[in-house]
Amino acid sequence: MRKFDPDRPWDLTTLPTTMAPKGSKPHAPTDDRCFLGAGDVPAAPKLQEAVATIKNWFRASSLNVLAFGTGCGAIELRPLSTSRFDMSRFGISGAPSPRQANVFIISGYLSTKTLKRVIRSYEQMPNPKWVVALGSCTINGGMYWDSYNTIKVLDLYMPVDVYITGCMPRPEALIAGFDYLMQDIKKGEANGWHHYLENLEWYRDNQKKVITDWDLPNYSW
Amino acid sequence: MSVFDYNTQPGFDLISETPNAGTTVDPKEVQLWFGPQHPGITGNMSVQLWMEGDSIKRGITHVGYLHRGFEKLMERRKFIQSFPIVCRMCVAEPDTTEYLLASSLEELSGLDKEVPEKAQWLRTLIMEMSRLQVTLMVLGGQVGTMGMGTAPNWTYTLRDFLLDSFEELTGGRVYHMYIAYGGVRRDLTKGFAQRLEATLDLIEERLPYLDDLILNSAVFQARTKGVSVVPTEWADEIGITGPTLRAMGVASDVRRDYPYLKYPELDFDICTAEGSDIYARTKVRRDEISQSIHIIRQILQMMPHEGAYCAKLPNMLTWTIPAGMTYTRAESSRGEMGFVMVTDGSDKIRRVHLRGPSYTNAVTILERMLPGMNIADLSATMVSLQTCPPEIER
Amino acid sequence: MFDFNHSNLDENGNPGAEIVSRIHDRFGNFPVHVQKPDLIRLNVPQTDIIPLLSWLRTETPFVQLTHLTAIDWLEEDEFELVYLITAPSLCISLMVCIRVNREKAEAESVFNLWLQAETYEQELHEMFGIHFPGSPRQGVPFILEGWQDMPPMRRDFDTVEYCNRTHPERPGREHHDSRIYVGRKFGEKGYLK
Repeated sequence: MRKFDPDRPWDLTTLPTTMAPKGSKPHAPTDDRCFLGAGDVPAAPKLQEAVATIKNWFRASSLNVLAFGTGCGAIELRPLSTSRFDMSRFGISGAPSPRQANVFIISGYLSTKTLKRVIRSYEQMPNPKWVVALGSCTINGGMYWDSYNTIKVLDLYMPVDVYITGCMPRPEALIAGFDYLMQDIKKGEANGWHHYLENLEWYRDNQKKVITDWDLPNYSW
Repeated sequence: MSVFDYNTQPGFDLISETPNAGTTVDPKEVQLWFGPQHPGITGNMSVQLWMEGDSIKRGITHVGYLHRGFEKLMERRKFIQSFPIVCRMCVAEPDTTEYLLASSLEELSGLDKEVPEKAQWLRTLIMEMSRLQVTLMVLGGQVGTMGMGTAPNWTYTLRDFLLDSFEELTGGRVYHMYIAYGGVRRDLTKGFAQRLEATLDLIEERLPYLDDLILNSAVFQARTKGVSVVPTEWADEIGITGPTLRAMGVASDVRRDYPYLKYPELDFDICTAEGSDIYARTKVRRDEISQSIHIIRQILQMMPHEGAYCAKLPNMLTWTIPAGMTYTRAESSRGEMGFVMVTDGSDKIRRVHLRGPSYTNAVTILERMLPGMNIADLSATMVSLQTCPPEIER
Repeated sequence: MFDFNHSNLDENGNPGAEIVSRIHDRFGNFPVHVQKPDLIRLNVPQTDIIPLLSWLRTETPFVQLTHLTAIDWLEEDEFELVYLITAPSLCISLMVCIRVNREKAEAESVFNLWLQAETYEQELHEMFGIHFPGSPRQGVPFILEGWQDMPPMRRDFDTVEYCNRTHPERPGREHHDSRIYVGRKFGEKGYLK
């Protein structure tokens, strides 16, 4: 996660977020075994670092966005993929299934009914994976701060790597958000998925507080 | 209802080849969830299907993934604070709900007689532009569901040029909040008419190419003619409106039947088609694009250039409206949209309920059309009925 | 609380006036209020609603159920059900309103007359707790999932209290009232009276 920079107070990706306490027991393997071909990593530290850099560069250059329009922001995703804004030039494309995706765009408010499906879809995505949250309603509830059916703070329930403000964010703002995400991935700082696995119990407790009819498995592989 | 447990689902036994003894489950039946996470679904909703092979035996629509309790929130806010809320009721087409809120409260408060002439023209303009951009989007989405990628790219880009006009006029690309009580928020900018005219020319120039890609395409005709026919006797029983009804050959349009704004002064045709299948509904949409362009051109010509664009308003923070109940309707791109509006003399809305065409289209019609349908046609059927989930659950 | 009259209803050749007089002849003198030329409101006793709606559906041009909604009159301890019936050939709508008791909220289903009433009745059952015996899908969750509180559209359901109880806020955000915020920032005098 990025450090808060007082010179850039408008940069909302640096806002202090609600983080889980350290030391919870992981439910899923958090080491490199999550990745394909992870066993081939050479032992020398310098070489290991170089391989990690190259890997991160590859990851940042091929982002596959899950096709799950969870809120109003989904309407700006289609113009983003057409020729005018053209997200393909950044290596971003759509993926129909969670098994083939590595970026989850939470496009707006989440009702508790959707939150359950979002958690299930998120856990089905292969590691490493990143979450981009669109709109002010994911940050603090936005205009739905007094609605009985929408959650207010998204990062209590799943880790968020980039927040994009606005209601609704323009396609240019989305591209800027993706740019942040790519920089973070290249630096190796976008580790929300790792944090989720480390603190799964804390996230589960929060999720079960709002989803009253919990019937999901411990972890959806 | 919820994310299901594979072990208790009918059809799971098929995999293990040991059907449960004593159950009445048809071993050929497979349960399938279409959505909410699916590229072919229209928005955030889902259809639970029971399949046999690739044909659907029955299905249930599940909505509620986008419920925000708008009607409850509007009961807690002052009248002017409701505008940012109503436009989010239908994401693709916010201006219709804005107009409905403004006109129903103006009617109950008696402000409707003070709305200036120019404001009414501007309201007509933005509502017709809004209908045009949604129709373009749906026309592209229609073929997009059948695997054709070219036409959606074109129509979305054309729609994007229209969104630029919206941005120039209102400041917002998607949510405009342009219509306000007593009129509109802003006047036309200088040179707006010429720029909008250029966009309309561009759309009109591309329409023949789109025709070749969509309506004249042999693949599209084979996939849509005679598919997903809505029987005409459902029209009264279910209360069908909009393009779905016009595709049955019924010339019904709120703009003509219950005249509002400046539509009585404008010259336009009600586009109908025969067949009531996906092809007919697509053809109605295609013709409505031409009609909308025609209407917008007339508005730009006939609109007065002088005059106020908003009436003199009372203090919005202390404005109260006498008790009353009304129903206001307008033609959206999907059909008749309406507000049941109740006030009780206070400074807040007592009760508001949106009547949307998707409500009947996505639940009642779709569920009755599902048995016997091929699963490959489901997504195209949903787009042709234009099911818009944020409007169903609000 | 409404003022009922039909003096502003044009008696000569207005199809609205004709349908109102036919209803009065057949079912008795219900209060009528003409909201606008194409919208007439009728207040009907609860016992008369099914005969009236069946008659409208089968013997008059009023064949479409455009909308069915409920209003919670908490002060009078009643729900008001609004049936919006439209005649597509005449372009006129009738708002037929009935009052039902709030404690024992129950009304007869109109599913036999109009198919899509099942969805409206399903939603009203979920959002207001009004029971429609005989209507399919009563009690089947429609919009909410796992809801354990009282039906949320009732007036006495406090959404802010529920929201504060179940959905925590981000630390650092204190309040949402712009009046307090602006007052604190610019001084109390700068805003409202």
